[in-house]
Amino acid sequence: MNSADFRKQAPNIVIWLLLLAMPFWLVGVGGYVELGTRVVVLGLAAMSLNFLLGYTGVLSFGHAAYFGLGAYGAGMIIRYVVPNTGLGILVGTLVGTLAAAIIGPLIIRLRGVYFAMVTIAFGQVFYFIAFRWNSVTGGDDGLIGWTRQPIDLGFTRIDILHNPTAFYYLVLICFALAVGIMAWLLRSPFGRTLIAIRENERRARFLGIPVDRHIWISWVISCCFVSLAGALYALLNNFVDPRALYWTQSGDFVIMAVLGGMRSFWGPLLGAAIFVILQDYLSSQTENWMSFLGLFFVLVVLFFPRGILGLMRRKAVT
Amino acid sequence: MSNERVNIAVQRRTVLKAGLAIGAMQVTSPFVVKSLADEPVKIGLDNPLTGTYAALGKNELIGCQLALDQINAKGGILGRKADLLVEDSTSGDAGTAVEKARKLIDRDKVDFLVGNINSALAAAIANVSYEKSVFHVVPGGHTDPITGANCHWNVFRVCNTTQMEANAVAGTLIKTAGKKWYYITPDYAFGHTLQAGLEKACTALGGAKVGGDLTPLGTTDFSSYLIKAQAANPDVIIFLVAGDDAVNALKQAVQFGLDKKYHLAGAQQELEVLLGLPPEARIGTWVFEWYWKQPNLPHLAEFVADIRKRSGGHVPTARTWFGYAAIWTCQLAAAQAKSLDPLKMAKAMQGFKLPPEVSLMPDGAFYRAAQNQLIPDLYVGNAQQAPKGGDREDLFNVTEIVKGQTAAGTLEDTGCKMTWPS
Repeated sequence: MNSADFRKQAPNIVIWLLLLAMPFWLVGVGGYVELGTRVVVLGLAAMSLNFLLGYTGVLSFGHAAYFGLGAYGAGMIIRYVVPNTGLGILVGTLVGTLAAAIIGPLIIRLRGVYFAMVTIAFGQVFYFIAFRWNSVTGGDDGLIGWTRQPIDLGFTRIDILHNPTAFYYLVLICFALAVGIMAWLLRSPFGRTLIAIRENERRARFLGIPVDRHIWISWVISCCFVSLAGALYALLNNFVDPRALYWTQSGDFVIMAVLGGMRSFWGPLLGAAIFVILQDYLSSQTENWMSFLGLFFVLVVLFFPRGILGLMRRKAVT
Repeated sequence: MSNERVNIAVQRRTVLKAGLAIGAMQVTSPFVVKSLADEPVKIGLDNPLTGTYAALGKNELIGCQLALDQINAKGGILGRKADLLVEDSTSGDAGTAVEKARKLIDRDKVDFLVGNINSALAAAIANVSYEKSVFHVVPGGHTDPITGANCHWNVFRVCNTTQMEANAVAGTLIKTAGKKWYYITPDYAFGHTLQAGLEKACTALGGAKVGGDLTPLGTTDFSSYLIKAQAANPDVIIFLVAGDDAVNALKQAVQFGLDKKYHLAGAQQELEVLLGLPPEARIGTWVFEWYWKQPNLPHLAEFVADIRKRSGGHVPTARTWFGYAAIWTCQLAAAQAKSLDPLKMAKAMQGFKLPPEVSLMPDGAFYRAAQNQLIPDLYVGNAQQAPKGGDREDLFNVTEIVKGQTAAGTLEDTGCKMTWPS
């Protein structure tokens, strides 16, 4: 590896080292392991959203729907069908992806604010189903009476329920898989095409690129990983409630992506980390924490419209 | 040359900024690392401070703090100082409430967890405390399963179950108001179980349901529900909404003139809600779970005076008492078990009767064994306008004190099958 390559790879290496060692240094600075797990899960959701927002240039305001479907899928499998964590994650992800694949063709012709509005509308449909269907989803009380199950590897059983560190690494493995696939896709001709659509959709169309189909595929991939994040989120809380599907949750993902920088690959993870830690900290300090959180976002959007990583990168370029 | 200069200037500025940032982190450091020696006993409060239950949450907090100060003045918990760590659970976001419970248990290593007002959040965080085996007191979430079908050995509850409230008020209502009931119910655990409880009690006494509506938590405009209620022509309109929702619903009912045509009533009512109402809307038959005016009750006057000092002159409400009793429960459990081991404390509290200076009720209150539910007195009566020359917060006229044991039903009725860890 020559030095230029190394320079390019250095941030990636640092990020992976930090993530791998998180349970150790986070506790050292006074955090707790579940906080780190939350950062990784919500970071995955924000990065998935950014696959669509930052690299395809399409703003979805309804990703919470697929996040929530993933969460309910995982929870209901464990609660009603088989107490198996792996199957829960798999089914949760599949349910969210399937819903996205079906809804996709109905919305991919829309652009800009119209796309965002329709994604909200579809999201709210799922929210109200979860809210009203008391007998199955538990309604507003949420789905209770289940916990994540130990993982049986044949030669050993890993207790992810009482060992938060083991669960963190399970989440990190899922995160690494998802992020690896996204990074690989973005380096492929397909990913370059998505960026071309983002930069100039009309020109891409003239070049003979099937724009709508590409946006549909990008949408499904993005929703697939956001459902994976949702399934992990349900396992983290041992609980799902309809708020996971609510449009404000979609808004949180958009905020995380914008906060960290939506033109950069790792930006949304940084955004999620700031969002989660700030919320965790502020809400213990003052009951007016929502005002401060809001003020912070206003300031970031006003002064660093490219997000925090965007700001760093501009500095590096100049 | 000039280029280099600019570079140096930028670097210096960057260094200065970094220095400032590090300096600021020292002041506002999110994670304060403390030494483990002389660690106080920690009680974590995971309760709403924002949203629709903010007023109730703050009153519980005042009660908690009074209990904490009294405990520390009397030697603390097992001779160690007691500390209260307060986290805002929000009024309805279970994800946040669960995260806060984990934060209190995992990071702050609390010995006791107290919360929550919202029934759904109480059930969600009871899941966490059960998973982590932490002694947990629910001060004010009423839904039945918490000490019923979903009861846990480590979860104790101060406030009544919804079924107890329904049983306490149903007889009076059938006698004085009539048999056709219409329900306006908040659409979540608390509302559902309260309505189911009332329907059960009402049918048992020969009454009937003529209709009902489920209203989402946080509804501000009840007009469409009230119009529907009128169309059903009931004898009684039952309002099961709580908090700010109840204020809005009752205000609008009086604006519509419904109080002239129907008997307005409900099961649970709170002083906070009555205080938020215009005087003409302070009407109806209700259950209070505790009231600050009880003639000839020892220790009550001191309690009311102590709370008035802390609350800017306001009287204690049932919520204040819940908070007070919840924190005292923690101390009493530790003292009774002579240990902070959750299992020993939970065992020690089976059938435990609260001392009169904590229970502050004519018949006292005890934790029913094998259910962990506090069985107190219930106060049935009417909302009233503040009496002339009396206290402006005397808004309830107690007509009947119902003993908890008659309202609580049998242990089998509750559906609680408690399993103990071996």
